[in-house]
Amino acid sequence: MLEFVDLHKRFGDVVALDGLSFDVQPGRILGFLGPNGAGKTTAMRCVFDLVRPDAGHVAWNRAPIDSSVHLRFGYMPEERGLYAKMRAGEQIAYFARLSGLHRGEAAEAAARWLAEFNLADRAASKVEELSHGNQQRVQLACALVHDPLVAVLDEPFAGLDPIGIETMADALRQLASRGMAILFSSHQLDLVADVCQDVVIIDHGRSVLQGEVMELRHSSPIRFLEVDVNGRPWTARVGETPAVDDNGRHRYVLDRNADIGALLSQAREDGEVTRFSFEPPNLTDLFREAVVR
Amino acid sequence: MSPTRQVFELARRDFVQRAKSKAFLLSMVLTVGIVFIIIPLSQLIDRDSGPTNVGLVGNLPIGSVPSIEQQANLLDIDIALTTYPDLAAAEQAITDGEIDAVLNGIDEIIFREESSLRLSAALTGGVATAQRQVVAGELGLSPEEVGELLYPVSFNERTIEPSETEEDRAREGAALVGLLLLYISILMFGQFVMMGVMEEKQTRVVEVVLSRVKPTQVLTGKVLGIGLLGLIQILALGGAILIAVTLVDIADVDLTGIGLKTLGLLILWYLLGYTFYSFMYGALGATVSRQEDMQGVAMLPVLLILPGFFLGQLALLEPGNWIAEVASFVPLWSPMVMAVRSTTSVVPLWQVMTSVLLIVLTTALLIKLGGRIYRGAILHTGSKTKLRTAWRSATD
Repeated sequence: MLEFVDLHKRFGDVVALDGLSFDVQPGRILGFLGPNGAGKTTAMRCVFDLVRPDAGHVAWNRAPIDSSVHLRFGYMPEERGLYAKMRAGEQIAYFARLSGLHRGEAAEAAARWLAEFNLADRAASKVEELSHGNQQRVQLACALVHDPLVAVLDEPFAGLDPIGIETMADALRQLASRGMAILFSSHQLDLVADVCQDVVIIDHGRSVLQGEVMELRHSSPIRFLEVDVNGRPWTARVGETPAVDDNGRHRYVLDRNADIGALLSQAREDGEVTRFSFEPPNLTDLFREAVVR
Repeated sequence: MSPTRQVFELARRDFVQRAKSKAFLLSMVLTVGIVFIIIPLSQLIDRDSGPTNVGLVGNLPIGSVPSIEQQANLLDIDIALTTYPDLAAAEQAITDGEIDAVLNGIDEIIFREESSLRLSAALTGGVATAQRQVVAGELGLSPEEVGELLYPVSFNERTIEPSETEEDRAREGAALVGLLLLYISILMFGQFVMMGVMEEKQTRVVEVVLSRVKPTQVLTGKVLGIGLLGLIQILALGGAILIAVTLVDIADVDLTGIGLKTLGLLILWYLLGYTFYSFMYGALGATVSRQEDMQGVAMLPVLLILPGFFLGQLALLEPGNWIAEVASFVPLWSPMVMAVRSTTSVVPLWQVMTSVLLIVLTTALLIKLGGRIYRGAILHTGSKTKLRTAWRSATD
C-alpha cells in the first residue's frame, strides 16, 4: 500500500500541497483528479523524491521509501521525455537495467512490452521516428518494464486518440488484475470513471473527496432524472422545472428516495416514454460539487 | 542494485551514444589523419637539407679529398665531393641545383647564393693540410714527423650561458602540444557534459531517469562516460603523435622517451582538469533548457580556464618565472601549468603532489556544490534558472 501522509509543500508564496493524505491499494486503480495547479504533479513527484515535502511523507507498506524500494516503482511524468536518438527497444531495455534488471532480463522485458503494445516491428526504430501515440506507448513501457509494485502515471491519457485511450485503459486494468497498485492523474473525468475503482479529488493541495467511485456516487443524497417522451425531453413537471446542463440535457435533481414508480406513471400520461434514467451523480458532477472555484 | 552499477549504466549510455555520433567519429578520424600527414611531411622538408655537395675542378694538392672530408667532419659538415671535368660543367651543376658549391683549384670557391664561412673553412683547411703534407714530404720528413707537424689542434668548448640543445627544444615542443591538447580536451569534453545535461533537461527525459537514480549519480555517470571518451581521444591522438615522431629520428634525442613522459603527464592532468571543470559544466548545463541560453553560461568556464592556457605558455617560455610557479598550484590552472613545468623541467615531487592534492580537494568541493545546483535546477523548466535559486531550492 502506497500512503501519502499529510503532505505539505510550498514553492515561495504558492502553496502546492496543504495536508494531502490518501492511500493507493495493490490491485486497484486510483484516479487522481483536480483542476490545473491543484498539486497533482507535485504529489506524484514526492513519491520519487523529485520534490521533498516540507512536512509529511510518502510510505510504502507503512515504512519509509528508500532507494531499493524506489526501484520497484514505475513513473511516467507528465512532461513526456525520451532519448530521441535511441532506438525504442534499446531505450526500454536501458531503463530496465537502470531499475536493476540484468542485461538478458532487460532485453527480454523490453521485447515483451513492445509486443504488448503491438510495436514489436518498431524495436529498431529511433524514438524520433515514431508517431506521437507510439512514443507514448514506449514511454509507458519505460515506466512499467521492470514490473513495478506501484505505477505512478501523470496524465497517461493526454494526447491519445480514442483507440489509444482504449488500449491504455485495457493495459492498466490488466496490470491491476496482476496486483499492481496504480495511481494515475487526469482531468478527463468521463474517462476516469470507466477506468478507476477509487478516486481522489484534490483542490488547492488538499483532498476534497475520496473513496470508491461507485460508493461515492451512490452515497450522494441526490439523483438525476432524465426522461424522454415521444423522443423529446419531458419537461412537464415533477414539482419543478428541469435544469439544463452544458450538454443541453434536461435533468431533474431529486432526492435519492424519490418514488420512481410514480414518476414513470406520471410521464406515461403524457405519451410514450422513450427514455427513462434515474441515476446517481457521475464523476463530473461529484467533481463540480467538490471543487468550488 | 548497487548505486555503482547504476552509475556504470548511465556512463555507458553517454559513452556509447556520443561515441556513435558522426561528429565525434569525424573529429577523431580527421585529427589522427592530420597527425599522420603533417609529421611525415615535416620530415620530408627536413630531408631536403641533406649533405652539402661540393664539386671539384682543376688541380688540387694530392690527398686533398680525404683531407677536406676530415676537416668537414671536424666542423660537423656532412659533405659529398664530386669531381667535374671543367669549370663550365661544375657551374652548370650549381645552376641545376645538383651541388651547393664548387672548389675551383686553389683559386676560388664558388657558391650558389650565399657564401658559407663554415664550408669555406673546411675546404680551405682541407686543401691547406694536403698542401703542407706534400711540402713536408718534399722536405724529407719522416711520416711520424709529418704526423706531429700536422696534428690538428683541437679545443674543448665551454659556454657560460648554454643555448638550447635539441633535447630542450624537443621537450618544449612536446609541452606545447600537450598544453594545446589539454586545453582543447578539457573545454571540449566539459562542454559535451554540459550539452548532455541540457539536452536531458530540454527533452524532459531526465525526470524518467531521476525517478530511478539520484541526481548526483546522474551527473557522475555523465562525467565518467564522457570523460572516458575524452581519454580515448587523447590516447588516440597522443599515440598517433608518438608513433609519428618515433618515425622521425633526430640524432641523440630520445623522442620516444620524451613523448611517453608527456603522454603520461597529459593523461594525469587531463583526468584531474576534466573532472574539475566537468562538474562545473554539468551544474551550469542544468540551469538552462535551451541552446541559446547555453551559449551564455558556457562562457564562464572558458573565462576561468583561459588564463591557465596563457600561464602555461609563460611556464614554457620562462621556466623559472614565479607567477607560473604559483599558478601551477591553483586548481583552475594547475592542470595546464604544472603539466608544462613537469614536461620541460624536473619539478620537485612535493610540488607535484601538493598541486594534485589541492585540485583533488577542490574537485571534491565542486562535486558537492555542482551536485546541489544540478539537483535544484534540473527540474526547473522554463527560462534560465539563477544559480542562487537552484542552490536554495535544493535545500527545500
